[in-house]
Amino acid sequence: MLLKYKAVVIGGSAGSFSVVSKILSQINHDFPLPIILCLHRLKHVRSGLLESINLKSKLEVLEPHDKDKIIPGKVYLAPSNYHLFIEYDGSISLSTEEPLNHSRPSIDHTLSSSAYFFRDKLIGILLTGANKDGAKGMKDIADKRGFTIVQDPATCDVDTMPKMALRLMSPSKIMSPDEIVLYLNQLVN
Amino acid sequence: MVGETAFREYLNELKKHTPYDFSEYSDNSIHRRIRKILKDYDLTMQQLLERTKTDEDFVEKVVEEITVNTTELFRDPEIWTNIYDKIFAGVKSKKTINIWHAGCSSGMEVYSNLIIMSELGLLDRIKVYGTDINARMVRQAKSGKYALKFNLEQLQAFNKSLKKKPIQGISEIDFTKYFEFHEEEDVLIVKDFLRKVPWFVKHDLVQEEIPFYNKFDIVFCRNVLIYFNASLQSKLFKRFHDQMYPGAFLLLGNHENMSGFYKTKFSKNGPLFVKNNSFHFKY
Repeated sequence: MLLKYKAVVIGGSAGSFSVVSKILSQINHDFPLPIILCLHRLKHVRSGLLESINLKSKLEVLEPHDKDKIIPGKVYLAPSNYHLFIEYDGSISLSTEEPLNHSRPSIDHTLSSSAYFFRDKLIGILLTGANKDGAKGMKDIADKRGFTIVQDPATCDVDTMPKMALRLMSPSKIMSPDEIVLYLNQLVN
Repeated sequence: MVGETAFREYLNELKKHTPYDFSEYSDNSIHRRIRKILKDYDLTMQQLLERTKTDEDFVEKVVEEITVNTTELFRDPEIWTNIYDKIFAGVKSKKTINIWHAGCSSGMEVYSNLIIMSELGLLDRIKVYGTDINARMVRQAKSGKYALKFNLEQLQAFNKSLKKKPIQGISEIDFTKYFEFHEEEDVLIVKDFLRKVPWFVKHDLVQEEIPFYNKFDIVFCRNVLIYFNASLQSKLFKRFHDQMYPGAFLLLGNHENMSGFYKTKFSKNGPLFVKNNSFHFKY
């Protein structure tokens, strides 16, 4: 089976937990791409998010270690208080450098470095959220001719983040969470 | 945009003309740092190269910019409450406990460890060394002065963790024993009795010989190796291994792993890596 894409990267902030849960609970259990997930999260709460997402997800969700290789069909969640980058060799690299857009992990960092490595083989998805993080990263994915999806602001808990992205770039699609699930699941067929 | 080759060339020149070698740093990260320098100082790659060759003070600034200096008091509170029962059992009978914080940045984890050691009644038996490549950070570590508001949150988070999981029965720490709090200036200062314990020195973990003769019972190297490539990481694991007593503890960052040959010379106990006894039998 030849797939047009090699990875999916998803960024989200305020309100995105339920959307991510929906996507991962309804996604095909044999979804063939790796999913890289960067969600803003509380700094001092290490546990919790990973466990709750894993409870709902059909795919295994893990918080990667530095230099881990990316495996198709797994979901990689940026650990609390670290930035997650895709290295030039496609492995994961973590960093504690300064927050970007007041955020660590920063969605821009994850999205932009993914765009640089995967180029037009990447699907970038930006979900609901309350700041401007992710907008620049989505633009970078679009500039590399990756496929970009912004969550329809009308379906967002907080629509600042998608709106900031829409100001900076025009995505391939604007979709509701249900449409995102459908889109991902039909990729294989 | 500056290409990958240009970065590599710059790092080669830096190595040639200065005491520093960043050529085995992780590409993505080092390139990002250099890009940031170009932007902050408004330089072209050529200008950066020229200044690096001719201006020693500027080189120190470059090193300060390249190295990541984020550190916190009790970063990852749950890790700290998790390791000390094991560490205490391992070191409590020792006359002297040698501790090395490799890549200690501004020293906040050095003081975090000292506070726990003090609570455990081990303060007068420990020898603590903190090393970092960044001269400015070493100066700050010696001064023991940090931003108050930011760290107050850290201290509270740590006490919350302690309540859930006490260390040797200690379920709360009164931090006024260890710090002066100056709210107007937004400064927190480590009290003298504690500040005088550690020995901080500027040291390049990658390039320089280790500046002490003794071996160590505990080595902290947290979120330092993530900036290095795998081959450099392996060299440093060997270095740590050679500098540790059998049974000694190595604590890495939360999302760092050991790799390479020296991985087999350590056993994992929770978040701690424990150096194996070199004999192949138990006694």
